[in-house]
Amino acid sequence: MNTNVRKFSVEPYKPLQAAVTGLHGLLDHIGHSSRLEFVSLVTYSSQLEVLVAFTRELDVIKTELLNIKLSDKFNLIEALKGVEKLILMEWGSGIPCNVILVVQDNFVNMNSLCLPFSFPGNLFICSLGPEVLRNPLLPVTDENMVNFNIHLMQPEVPVSSHGVVQMFVKLGEKHYASWSGNLVCGNLNSKITLSPNPEPCFKVTDFEYNTYTVDNNLEICGFIELKHLGSPAAVSRHLVLPYTPPSPYHGKGHGSRHPSHSGEGDDESLDEGHTPSFCVLLHGALKVENMAALCQVGNDWYGVLFSWADSKKKSNLMLSFLEPGRDSIPWLGDMNALHIPLEAPADDEAFPVKPADKKSYSQNGVAWIRQAGIQSDIQKILRHARKIPEKTQQFYKELNRVRRAAICLGFLSLIEGLAAILDRECTLLPSSTHPACAIQLTHAAQALRDSASKDHKYSIAPMKMSF
Amino acid sequence: MLTPPSFLLEESLHPANHKTIFILDHTPEFGIQRESLIEFDFNKARAPGFIPLAPVAKSLWTCSVECAVEYCRIAWDLFPTGKLIRFVVSDWKSHVLNSWNSSQQTLTHLLNGLALIGVPPPPNSDPDPSKVYSINHGLQAAVSIMCESTDQQHEKRTSLNENTVPVVNRCRVICITSVTNRDKIVELENKMLSELIVGNKFAASSDLLIPVDLCEFIILNVGPTLLENIPRHKVANILESEMHSVKTNGGLANKLTSLILKHYNLASTTVTGIPMKEEQNASSSANYDVEIFHPAKAHETLFKGSSVDVDQIKSLKEGFEYYTVTLKWSTPRGLTASEMHNCTAMHRITPVDVNSRPSSCLINFLIGGRSVMLEVIRRGGLKSLSHLLASHSGQIYMHSLAIGRSPHEDPPSISEGTGGRVTDYRITDFGNFMMQNRLFPIKGSKVQSSTLKRTKTRLDRHTKFWPMTISSTVIFNYKQYMEPILNIMLQPELRESDVVQCKQCIFSLIGNEAKHEPLHIMNTGQRGKGVKTSREEQYKQLWAELEAFLRAHCVTDKHINVLNCLLEVRNRDASDTFDKVDVDLALKELDQLNAKVERASVIRATTDSPLSPDANFHSTHSKTVLELWVSKFCRQKPRPDFVGLSTAQLMPGGRLKAKLYPQFKERPAPPGKGGKASSRVPAIIGD
Repeated sequence: MNTNVRKFSVEPYKPLQAAVTGLHGLLDHIGHSSRLEFVSLVTYSSQLEVLVAFTRELDVIKTELLNIKLSDKFNLIEALKGVEKLILMEWGSGIPCNVILVVQDNFVNMNSLCLPFSFPGNLFICSLGPEVLRNPLLPVTDENMVNFNIHLMQPEVPVSSHGVVQMFVKLGEKHYASWSGNLVCGNLNSKITLSPNPEPCFKVTDFEYNTYTVDNNLEICGFIELKHLGSPAAVSRHLVLPYTPPSPYHGKGHGSRHPSHSGEGDDESLDEGHTPSFCVLLHGALKVENMAALCQVGNDWYGVLFSWADSKKKSNLMLSFLEPGRDSIPWLGDMNALHIPLEAPADDEAFPVKPADKKSYSQNGVAWIRQAGIQSDIQKILRHARKIPEKTQQFYKELNRVRRAAICLGFLSLIEGLAAILDRECTLLPSSTHPACAIQLTHAAQALRDSASKDHKYSIAPMKMSF
Repeated sequence: MLTPPSFLLEESLHPANHKTIFILDHTPEFGIQRESLIEFDFNKARAPGFIPLAPVAKSLWTCSVECAVEYCRIAWDLFPTGKLIRFVVSDWKSHVLNSWNSSQQTLTHLLNGLALIGVPPPPNSDPDPSKVYSINHGLQAAVSIMCESTDQQHEKRTSLNENTVPVVNRCRVICITSVTNRDKIVELENKMLSELIVGNKFAASSDLLIPVDLCEFIILNVGPTLLENIPRHKVANILESEMHSVKTNGGLANKLTSLILKHYNLASTTVTGIPMKEEQNASSSANYDVEIFHPAKAHETLFKGSSVDVDQIKSLKEGFEYYTVTLKWSTPRGLTASEMHNCTAMHRITPVDVNSRPSSCLINFLIGGRSVMLEVIRRGGLKSLSHLLASHSGQIYMHSLAIGRSPHEDPPSISEGTGGRVTDYRITDFGNFMMQNRLFPIKGSKVQSSTLKRTKTRLDRHTKFWPMTISSTVIFNYKQYMEPILNIMLQPELRESDVVQCKQCIFSLIGNEAKHEPLHIMNTGQRGKGVKTSREEQYKQLWAELEAFLRAHCVTDKHINVLNCLLEVRNRDASDTFDKVDVDLALKELDQLNAKVERASVIRATTDSPLSPDANFHSTHSKTVLELWVSKFCRQKPRPDFVGLSTAQLMPGGRLKAKLYPQFKERPAPPGKGGKASSRVPAIIGD
């Protein structure tokens, strides 16, 4: 998601006009290359003023640009803070946004800016002043910055309206070029574009860092049922749209509308609509079968294609870029170690891939740091004790668990205490209790006191009785 | 393009938490039972005449062991690899309980080691003056194991890849001991530093060992005298130290909990309002809270965007030094496993109080395969689902969900773009294709290359002849007549019985045609273009497409065999009926065929096998009847297969390429047998 917040504080007539012309050109370019882009327009004088909230109606922004009034007050730091807050409120921290800052001159110490923003994206500082700015080294404080870049843009000197317009053209061509590539599955393929544009991904692990880039050929490796896929984390999500070759576009003449809505254009789009597209076929089948296609999007980088419907029930093909690397979905195992077997294994056999280790919460260990932990373990033993002989096995199992843990932790006084508790429990048994109960309790208490039971590998066995 | 500044990487790369060493004081003093009495007599309300039990107490040793083990439990639950912890026990000498190897990085291994070490010896039990009880033995051992490479460090150090970042050996030592005054702390630091200098010198002269670049030395001073804490300070370039004084049991556990959150950058979430049924009273349910730990990044979506009022959900945990974020349990409704949530990150979790009843209730709920959404209240009172708790293969994950506005809102429908108006896609067939090409993990050993390299050939073949719409195909619409040929031909290798089955299928079609049986479209629920075609036309289209299909799949001898069978029977069939047809009709038929072939050539892949009809033959009309006769019927007996075909490779466009005289280059024939060898060269074998 590239989102533009434009910042204005342009004083005399000439730079403002040039900026408006340049931005109109840029908006035309955006409207053409990235139709789903949201743009917002803000200014700052004494406080941040949102002139146009985020919208895809770029004409509204164009109109509002013409109404910009100048003011003599400006505070860049406060303005940027306001912009950051605005974007975080609207989009959160995960969606890349571009901030295009248009200022007249270099009256700010760049080092004092609170940058980078806590969202990924770019900040373009477009300085229209006559002086050439030194390339500012901006402060970096946050690990998030790796996906945030700051660009300083200036028109060529001597500054002219034409130079300003050219600067915005350059910005548009470089940062708002629409991505196009191929979605491939064996011999079937579709020319596609992704919205928003895919970005390279930077990843640091304990031992290395890597920049992963997106291939132009997104090749499907095979298919996976959604129930096996879970909801894996994605670094970004993109709509997969069939690529439509650009209609003739005139960068100049910002007032003109796209010429495509005439008769001939319609015929063409009608034709395209009736040419079978692999994209549409794939989407239909993924939706019906509740499946996803795993595709390789870069070196050691995978993506997942699935059918996605927004709240309005319009269905679309979505591509999630997974975390780069081979272990992005742990329960599928190594992503580079999948294959299509000649015969599919039984449904529950293959997935999920069982991890080597068992987590503490499924290990039945003890947790005695808090007293309640010890107390509930002992109460459990006593509960079973009173139900001997039905619960003899459970009684010894719990007894041995506590005893073994106590040995490991060097908590020998607990074992003695447990013996005492069992002895006392014996004396408290009501007369209706099964006789085996007293015998087993006495046996267990003795065994606990026995020195052999200080060995953690030893297990106390029930006394054999022939009742 | 995206290269972060180097100092930033230095902080993220090679963290100290890759190698942690616990040094546990096992001197007689730690065996003494101190305070922390545990009341475990629950029978106070019982009948008269019972003997009250004395409470039990933990020793300092037990306290430090259980806290250190808890530290490992949390670390290993959250990070299955790469976060290694070793235990060193120090009494009159040092004992190392495990190695850096992952097989020894488990609680079971550690607990077994601790059981063998046992409790510290009682004071003055051993009058042997040569046995000096001290924590210093542990420091020495810790330094020598810091210099041992872990598997990951070793792999990176020996990597031949020039992009590998040089390994920085950062380590953390957590020493649980007891000292009486600050001078002793300085003594410990100096001892550690001198051991490090000696150890590094030794490591530098060894190929296998790795010198320590930075050691974080954390002294946890437990005991009766509470010294003032010493914050982190630099002792030397390679040693930073800090000291925390704690009371036994509770104090030590709390301190280590705060430290582990810092050491691994973790955070706490309290899931509130979990409805649980009471065992005794199943009709009513009470609400419980469960606290979990997880990497702090799981909260990023909440704090990075300012749409959530942090102060409202974040609170200091009672009795502890850290904050917990409270999120509300949201009863899952209508959630299916196959739903794809917009998940931006996922992290493993572990319950803080692993055995408490509410914790195990939540854990069992999740392990059982159900999932839980967590809800956060945003500024302005709007509720959002911010996280999803779910287990995958017995491990519980916290998925962070995107809570901001979606940039995908109001997307263009897929039906508006290219191919959107086509209504007769072979959706069901593509569904079957997907089912046949499902991915599964390879069982067994480590693998080379990538998944795509492994599956590409198969996908290429399965899609080689794959018309996308119902109206552009015939054979796939008449599946009941065509199976099993359509499936069998996709197999990489055919058995003799497969060939027979395919041939039978062809023969039965021939039979149907001879009996003038019309072809019925199988009712698959798919919308087909209801184009009415005559029976003859149907068969003609069918044969032409089947031939193209078979040609596309000529990968082995046996596959070609099936194609040959088709060509053969079609020709014979034509000859049988020839005498009833006059030449004019034959020519007309030929024209139709010609037109047909041109149309079909869009989807057909041709081969240059000796039996394929001559492409020129169809496109020229200037042939005489004799030529037609000769070319069509004078090869009743097909020649045996060109041997090269069996070894032929499929080229783009369906052409086959066979290498002639392959052994000439590979194995120069010995001079004596030259003549013999050349006679075995496959050549065109005519009749």
